[in-house]
Amino acid sequence: MASVRAASRLLSKRVLSTAKAVPAAAVQGSRNFHFSIYGKKKNAKVSDDISTQYPVVDHEFDAVVVGAGGAGLRAAFGLSEAGFNTACVTKLFPTRSHTVAAQGGINAALGNMEEDDWRWHFYDTVKGSDWLGDQDAIHYMTEQAPAAVVELENFGMPFSRTEEGKIYQRAFGGQSLKYGKGGQAHRCCCVADRTGHSLLHTLYGRSLRYDTSYFVEYFALDLLMENGECKGVIALCMEDGSIHRFRAQNTVIATGGYGRTYFSCTSAHTSTGDGNAMVTRAGLPCQDMEFVQFHPTGIYGAGCLITEGCRGEGGILINSEGERFMERYAPNAKDLASRDVVSRSMTIEIREGRGVGPEKDHVYLQLHHLPPQQLAARLPGISETAMIFAGVDVTKEPIPVLPTVHYNMGGIPTNYKGQVITYVNDEDKVVPGLYACGEAASASVHGANRLGANSLLDLVVFGRACALTIAEQHKPGEKLSPLKPSAGEESVANLDRLRFANGSQRTSEIRLNMQKTMQTHAAVFRTGSVLKEGCNKMDAIYQTLEDIKTFDRGIVWNTDLVESLELQNLLLNAVQTINSAEQRKESRGAHAREDYKERVDEYDYSKPLQGQEKKPYDQHWRKHTLSFVDQKTGKVTLEYRPVIDSSLDEQDCAHVPPAIRSY
Amino acid sequence: MSLLRVCSRQLFWKNPAVEPLFTGCLRAASRAVNDKEPLKKAKTPKGRFDNLEETSKDVLEKFPDDVNPVTKEKGGPRGPEPTRYGDWERKGRCVDF
Repeated sequence: MASVRAASRLLSKRVLSTAKAVPAAAVQGSRNFHFSIYGKKKNAKVSDDISTQYPVVDHEFDAVVVGAGGAGLRAAFGLSEAGFNTACVTKLFPTRSHTVAAQGGINAALGNMEEDDWRWHFYDTVKGSDWLGDQDAIHYMTEQAPAAVVELENFGMPFSRTEEGKIYQRAFGGQSLKYGKGGQAHRCCCVADRTGHSLLHTLYGRSLRYDTSYFVEYFALDLLMENGECKGVIALCMEDGSIHRFRAQNTVIATGGYGRTYFSCTSAHTSTGDGNAMVTRAGLPCQDMEFVQFHPTGIYGAGCLITEGCRGEGGILINSEGERFMERYAPNAKDLASRDVVSRSMTIEIREGRGVGPEKDHVYLQLHHLPPQQLAARLPGISETAMIFAGVDVTKEPIPVLPTVHYNMGGIPTNYKGQVITYVNDEDKVVPGLYACGEAASASVHGANRLGANSLLDLVVFGRACALTIAEQHKPGEKLSPLKPSAGEESVANLDRLRFANGSQRTSEIRLNMQKTMQTHAAVFRTGSVLKEGCNKMDAIYQTLEDIKTFDRGIVWNTDLVESLELQNLLLNAVQTINSAEQRKESRGAHAREDYKERVDEYDYSKPLQGQEKKPYDQHWRKHTLSFVDQKTGKVTLEYRPVIDSSLDEQDCAHVPPAIRSY
Repeated sequence: MSLLRVCSRQLFWKNPAVEPLFTGCLRAASRAVNDKEPLKKAKTPKGRFDNLEETSKDVLEKFPDDVNPVTKEKGGPRGPEPTRYGDWERKGRCVDF
């Protein structure tokens, strides 16, 4: 790392210093790619193995982590702590990752407010996932939760405290005591109102103690796979346009979710599902991609969510005719109906043409009929929020809202240890050398629906789990297995093709088409015909990638190129999401269909099990979807994998048998 | 080098924007409180947020000693309880649910 830094410093010095005598090559105006690596030559070598146009810098590490959010940082310094020579490749500076926006809290059964047991947290999470979560992974996460939170606190994270000085826990996120029978549990620990920000900064600060090599603003292009084994990553350095191959025995993917496939999402512009796409291109499956968590009232254009408390305090949803349409869909609850009912009603109104705005694609949330003092007293700050994000005065105009994507439950399938798995011959098979954690992974603790405050926990527990698994099975300084010298050439060919693409559709146009299609067809309102139409449209949009046009032909900080690469990744995620949703003919958790409103399990759990015949595996839907994509055609193939129903230790914590999910 | 500094300092004080500030301070100190003349601003267009400088106080007030009087939580979120509507709310924005 220091040698690469020195090299780029040298390059920049050569460009800037015009007053002194400069070698002839630099004066030409075109950059010389053959920069020399000074210092430790052992770690980085320049080679012409892939292409003479794109010289490649080869690095060798014990482990490489892709992504530096909560999970990536935890994995990176966990590995450095264990003595591995680790590289952390990230396209953003670590403290700019999307984890910083997570303002909620972390759940852990510390028992500071009342008697608590992690087994009750286990039960709540299994129930929340609508029995699609792998119970061994959930067992692992909830059992490790108290230790993880205490560890974070020892790293210096300033949790809020009770009078005695213990961590203050509040009630949040569907948590209960005594397996649902003991009332509300207080398990959510927070740091004022910036838990994610604080977590990320604590982890980053801690990681600087160890000698992890950070490769910041390096866009990971692809995994280097050989014989089904992952041998590293190939990445583009955005700063100077050089290609870097990171060879490592162990690769950890922690690249986050793919919210940007939808038109309205709370995620940053950088949440483009790069890790999922890399794994898909390597021929491995992604799991449960159809489960996407929506929130009914997100501000149109901005993507921030307006709290349900607005409706609780009397706010109403209005369509283009000025009608309070919730009265038709939920005559009793009206605007206070549950989130999925509200989301679906809003989407139906928009589909039927009663949306507002120039494109008639959203509805209004009206608050100006409430007295302003009441609004200011009950919901302080909302006028500020509405002005900043929606540009409306909340006491005079309604706020434009539409259902918004918030979290992706699906991702790269892993086991509870964090190792990426694939399903071969009716069995889970570990992919050697590849691990995943965080929102990018689906160790399936969230199953079909994520509970609030569980995702920050997921990050730290599974980030640590990846590091522990690697430390358990490998030693630092192990000899790397041989790799073909031309590994990664397809990625570079793709890069070159995109860089000089001269079709007719711009990246932004294709991206907007994809986002609008996904928002209309694969959002909250899902029926067979709508999804099928969406699948066909997405297929057509995928084909338009051939016709893409980019404008920037340079190689230094080419954001046009990087956005096009991100678009390719987004499209891979989007086709998997919509095709998996089209095939899953039931309603479970966040995937709710109008034509199949019930959950289809092996038994009908609403009736007593006695006398019921168990449905065969291919006729019920309590299974994980595994989706593969043929990169050239965009065709999606789906397979299924059973849910793991047994916990890690049946004596210690019995698994929870499926039941009807009602709160 | 020092000449440069002296020249720039002179230029600084002669700067029309700074003079009224300086004299304004003196004026405020010498005169009564109710005579607050608005400082001369250059004739640039006024943006939507230009007037907010006066009322830039945060809507959510800090608790005394940072201790929430009802729940006795130290270092917790300011303002009303974020989870009171079932989701995590701050300034009308929902951040987790």
